[in-house]
This record gives sequence, structure tokens and C-alpha cells, in this order.
Amino acid sequence: MEPQVHDFERVYAGDAKGVGQIIRFLDKNNLNIDDFIEVFLVLRNDLGEIIACGGIAPGVIKCVAIDDGCRGQGIALTLASSLIQLAAELGYHQLFIYTKPENEPFFADCGFYPIAAVPGRVVLLENSPVRLKQYQARLAALKQPGGRIGSIVMNANPFTNGHLYLIERALEQCDWLHLFVVGEDKSQFAYTDRLALIRAGTARLSRLTVHEGSSYIISRATFPCYFLKQESIVHQCHMELDLSIFRTYIAPPLGITHRFVGNEPNCVITNYYNKQMRIWLKSPEIHAPPIEVVQIQRLEYQNDVISATKVRKWLGEGDFEKLKHYVPESTYRFLINKYEKVSV
Amino acid sequence: MNAIIQDSVAGTLESSDVMVYASPNPGGGRLITVNSSVGQQFAPQIRASVEAVLNRLNIEEAALQIEDKGALDCVLQARVKAALLRAGVQAGWEELL
Repeated sequence: MEPQVHDFERVYAGDAKGVGQIIRFLDKNNLNIDDFIEVFLVLRNDLGEIIACGGIAPGVIKCVAIDDGCRGQGIALTLASSLIQLAAELGYHQLFIYTKPENEPFFADCGFYPIAAVPGRVVLLENSPVRLKQYQARLAALKQPGGRIGSIVMNANPFTNGHLYLIERALEQCDWLHLFVVGEDKSQFAYTDRLALIRAGTARLSRLTVHEGSSYIISRATFPCYFLKQESIVHQCHMELDLSIFRTYIAPPLGITHRFVGNEPNCVITNYYNKQMRIWLKSPEIHAPPIEVVQIQRLEYQNDVISATKVRKWLGEGDFEKLKHYVPESTYRFLINKYEKVSV
Repeated sequence: MNAIIQDSVAGTLESSDVMVYASPNPGGGRLITVNSSVGQQFAPQIRASVEAVLNRLNIEEAALQIEDKGALDCVLQARVKAALLRAGVQAGWEELL
């Protein structure tokens, strides 16, 4: 008689022995472990071997695998239920799942609804049939008239003169500009601070809407490798999904026709993302109006390209004299208030 | 009026059970979505049953997502009530009977 109640064990990311066993189990099932997972649920057989597992990262269910010999014992639905409940316990109610296309029917049975797919490679699903539509309705309410509607997505960690310059050049080329702030709290500067500095730095500009972060634009759900910043795990699929979601769901309600980016001389991932952007925002494979990508040459100060990375470096060294020339007054005041008191 | 103040979930996806998600829906009235393995036959009854619970607890604004696996009506009502209580709804025991 098979046990009717499946007792899942929790394995936390810090548990090296448990995680080691999970890595080997995932490897057998052709899956890689993910850096962002906080806790795993694991089911073992009588011999103590793992026969099923699933992991929870913020807002995303990952690394779900069940041993081939144990399918059809009701483990899958119990595992899915337990993962959703545990995620809720951790405060994650909006959940995404990345999976291979062949697993889509199973997750559809678990109340997950497809958002976007890279055919033959990966499908992104979320646990609500209406959340994305509600987000689109909120965007549609912010639509502005005009034939050339621009967009920029930025992290602004923190907001520099380079960001301001990009916004001003973009505004010269369009009737209205929608600015999306990356919402994840994975950067040195907290999301709320980044948003506040963008608002302060652009307060005097008109024809501009600053949009709060969303899990549908460069989030850990749509684009996990952006936050890892390691060349080895640049994942083309993730970029394609992120850009496909932008073009299919975000741009149409706002009537966005253009997306502006700064050229990227340093960061490999951002550079590659910009290249992918020119492909996927235009490709006829995606059934949504095409979006023109406009690359703008970065602002320089004394022959030196302005970047947030440099600002963070000088901030670390306490060199406020240097970074003063790279950030707007509002960002400078914020940095002085927040950091100088500590260092003096 | 009773209000939902946070997201919640109750129930499981196993056969004869139902998973209910509840979340605030400020200014949006009641938004009930039903996805049921027996939806072709029972979706209207499921919806009516959920509405009845909302009426009884005096809740006018709520987003409820019903992922049903053929739960009996008593199970459905229990899961909806559990989700609503976890979402911050206040109710006396006699209202929950």
C-alpha cells in the first residue's frame, strides 16, 4: 500500500548536504539548480533517496522534477499544492513558472496560465488568468495621444546624468515617453530610492510618464539572468521571453512605437540584450505591432562615458567630488545625505 | 462592509478538492474566475455558491480565483471561507456555519 499522505521535507538554501542531493537529483532529470531558490520541498522514498522536488524563488516556482518511476501516484498535484501553499507562507502570491513546452499541460492542470513562449524551448506561465489583463487595463488608462510614442526601461542604480541625457534625447524624437523602472530589489539602491531619484531628476520634464516596476518587465520572473550578471548563464530564451512580453502585452495598451536604449560599451549582458531587442521587437514571428529600437550614443564627461557603475565605484571610495559631475543635483543630494554622514 | 486586506490561498489541487485564491480588488467589485475540471457542467453552480458565501460575509470587493478539481459544495464553501478569513475578513462563528 502506498502512503496516502506525502510528507514533504523542507530543504533551505543554506543546507549544503540537502542541496547537494537535490543538485544530483535535478541533474538526473536534466535540470540545473537556480541561485535564487530560498527553499525546496523534497520527497524521499524508503531508502531516503529523493524522488520528487520543487523550489521556491521570490515569485517563481522552479526546479520541479519527479522521478520517472514515481509518476502517476498523485505526487505531482500534492507537490504543486504544497509549493503554492509554501510560497504563500513566504509572502509570494503572484507566482510564475518556467517550464519546457511538454510540461505546460501539467502546470495548466495546477492553475497556471501561459503568458509567453519561445517555441520548442520554454514557456512562461503564471498562477492567474486575469492578473496580466488587469495590468494591461491599468496601462491603457495612461495612454497618451500621438503618433510616436517612446519607451525606455531602466534600472537607474542610481539615476545619473547619463539616464537624464537618454530621456531628453528620446523626448526630442517622440510625442510622449513612457519610462519603466525595473522593480526588483536586487540592486545596491533600493527600488523605492531608484524610483524617487528618477522622479526627482525628471520632475521638470513634460510629456513623460514614469511607470512603477512590474513583474512583467525585466523582473526575476521574465528575465532571471539579468540579475545574475554572469556571462556563462546569459540565456537567450529569457531575453526573447522578456522582449516578447513587452511587445505583446505592454506596448499595445500604451500605443508604444519606439524603444530607446543607450549604447552599452561595458556590460556584456546589456549589450547582448540590446542586440536581441532589435531582433525580437521587430520579428514577424511575434504577432504584435513592431517597435522601432533607437540606440542613443552615451553621454560623456571629459571623454569618459557616464555610467551608474562608475558612480557606485566612486561612492564606495567616498569620492563625492568626482561623482558630482556624473549625477543630477537631486541624486547628488541624496547620496551626500545617505552616505557622507556615515563616512565622516 | 467586510474587506479583504491581503492575498491568501486555501485548499489543494488534488482530486475532489479546490484551491481558492483571494486577493483585494479595490474599486473593482467582485471578480470571480472559475477553472474547474467539471466546469462545463457545474461552473454556474460553483459561481453561485461562491457568491452566496460572499453575500453571507457581506463582502462586496474581492478577487477570487477558483481552481476546482470536482469538490463537493460543502468543500468549496469551506475552502472559500478559509481563504477569506486568511485574507483578513472578520466573521463571527455563526456566520461561518
